[in-house]
Amino acid sequence: MESNKEDIGHIALGVRIGGLALMNPVMTASGTFGYGEEFAPFCDLNRLGAVVVKGLSLEPRMGNPAPRIMETPCGMLNAVGLQNIGIRAFINDKLPYLRQFDLAVIANIFGETVDEYRRIAEILSGADGVHGIEVNISCPNVKKGGVAFGAKPDVAADVTKKVRSETDLPVIVKLTPNVTDITEIALAVEAAGADAVSLINTLTGMSVDIERRRPHLANITGGLSGPAIKPVALRMVWQTVRCLKIPVIGIGGISTAADALEFLIAGATAVEIGTANFIDPAVTIGILDGIEAYMIRHGIGRIDELIGSLKTDP
Amino acid sequence: MKTAYKDPSMSIGEVIANPEIAPDHFLLTLSLPSDFATPQPGQFVMIRDSAQAEPLLPRPLSVYGFCRVGGRAILDLLYRVTGRGTSLFSRMKPGALLTVLGPLGRGFTLQRDVRNVVFLAGGVGVAPLTFLLHEGYLRDTSLQRIQITAYVGAKTAELLLSLDRVQNFCNLRTATDDGSAGYHGLVTDFLRYELGDYEPHVTMVYACGPVAMIRSLGFIIQEPTIRCEVSLEERMACGIGACLGCAVAVKDGQGKTSYRRVCHDGPVFDLRQIALNTCPEEQDKGYGIQ
Repeated sequence: MESNKEDIGHIALGVRIGGLALMNPVMTASGTFGYGEEFAPFCDLNRLGAVVVKGLSLEPRMGNPAPRIMETPCGMLNAVGLQNIGIRAFINDKLPYLRQFDLAVIANIFGETVDEYRRIAEILSGADGVHGIEVNISCPNVKKGGVAFGAKPDVAADVTKKVRSETDLPVIVKLTPNVTDITEIALAVEAAGADAVSLINTLTGMSVDIERRRPHLANITGGLSGPAIKPVALRMVWQTVRCLKIPVIGIGGISTAADALEFLIAGATAVEIGTANFIDPAVTIGILDGIEAYMIRHGIGRIDELIGSLKTDP
Repeated sequence: MKTAYKDPSMSIGEVIANPEIAPDHFLLTLSLPSDFATPQPGQFVMIRDSAQAEPLLPRPLSVYGFCRVGGRAILDLLYRVTGRGTSLFSRMKPGALLTVLGPLGRGFTLQRDVRNVVFLAGGVGVAPLTFLLHEGYLRDTSLQRIQITAYVGAKTAELLLSLDRVQNFCNLRTATDDGSAGYHGLVTDFLRYELGDYEPHVTMVYACGPVAMIRSLGFIIQEPTIRCEVSLEERMACGIGACLGCAVAVKDGQGKTSYRRVCHDGPVFDLRQIALNTCPEEQDKGYGIQ
């Protein structure tokens, strides 16, 4: 990234995730922004801090049967089941398009075994145009793998170690909130060599069609996202920030600049925008502009001054 | 015939009118800025009241009519109230504002080499077919020699929609479940009895309606030379191919099944590609492309 792009009108928005310099802290959450190109008609990709693409597996995955989504109060459930084109098709068919933008591309990866994570990281390390890896150990909608890797500290650490050993790219580990103590997992992946953690993935949920007495989702359960989960996500981010030395990326129901600012103030180094992309495909740009306007209004010249500036003294 | 799709945009639409034209069915007319791209038949838009936090997600509605008047784009949407989103729309008064994302999706393909075009509409499924009739087949004078027949079905006579936009422009066949108008029974049964009248290799069928109707159509069209396109509905979050929420199972030439996105790869699909047995049973989707 060019360093001059970090300073929009003397407001320094640039943040660092491991060795990766992002021109601003606004990223997209995996699974909500496709492979980027779907949003190009609405959204100037060059302005985004980073795009995290749809989760990638070693081989293409078909995903779950329909219905896959259901709206719930201030949120939605999804059980897509990590449908994706596979790592090789991503590199061959999607990456060339993304390379034309001045944009940090983070590949979100998913394996059914620890070794699959390692192999995907190995393949990605040689790919031109990938700037970081987000390791998904937290998907609630697949039978094998997914949250199974993210719920136990030793397994989460093992996955992190294997990915770390294969790549010099920044490694972000995406954590599940469906655990008793998220900081325990966060500390384990930090010790295993993660450059950052991102949280939270979706909360496992369910919805029933009372007329038919059937679940609304074919998968029966799904992952809850959207504004409904924001307070939970914010609490977990705040808790995790206080335990870790590595950056924490905040995710969970962020729909406005005010939402993003809450996470930054609570200590998140960057934020990922998820479900809000479905409601307004240009929402990320509006959030970025809103953060900048807030900083001007409060006379904050550098985003570092804002990050973790939460006052909790009485 | 290849269709040229223009880039969608996000616009603010002003409600011009929104009358209840049949029980629980409304005709929403929106005025949009002139840069709103002209929709192709079968395309849809995502609609949301951005002043409200709830419902969260926009709702997909297929295009029923479109024209340009005095520098504005005028969009007609025919919808049935099925849940929270459409219920909110039904209370919108002239002057209210709605966010409109579109036009979206891949629509119907026009067939130039056929002699007969058959529309099969169930309930509010008549909306995209009406737009196809006018914007596709009637607008192009070179297609005027084609015989067009519309089979329009509904539960009751008062739920037979869009007759004013259909009956004087093509042959109309109506069917009602209760026999209060037209053929007494399912509209697919009516078509089945008359299907033999259409020479298969020069006949094109377009259908939109409930999943049960689409499934029946799959059974009655056994003749492989009849071409058939159907418009599907499914719950959607984004409408632009990103969320993968609106999956439909399709079969390729080797019989291998994969999922396509109703919003981006459809909503119009070749009937024979759809794995009909895997389409979810009807449920109260609350919204859908209609």
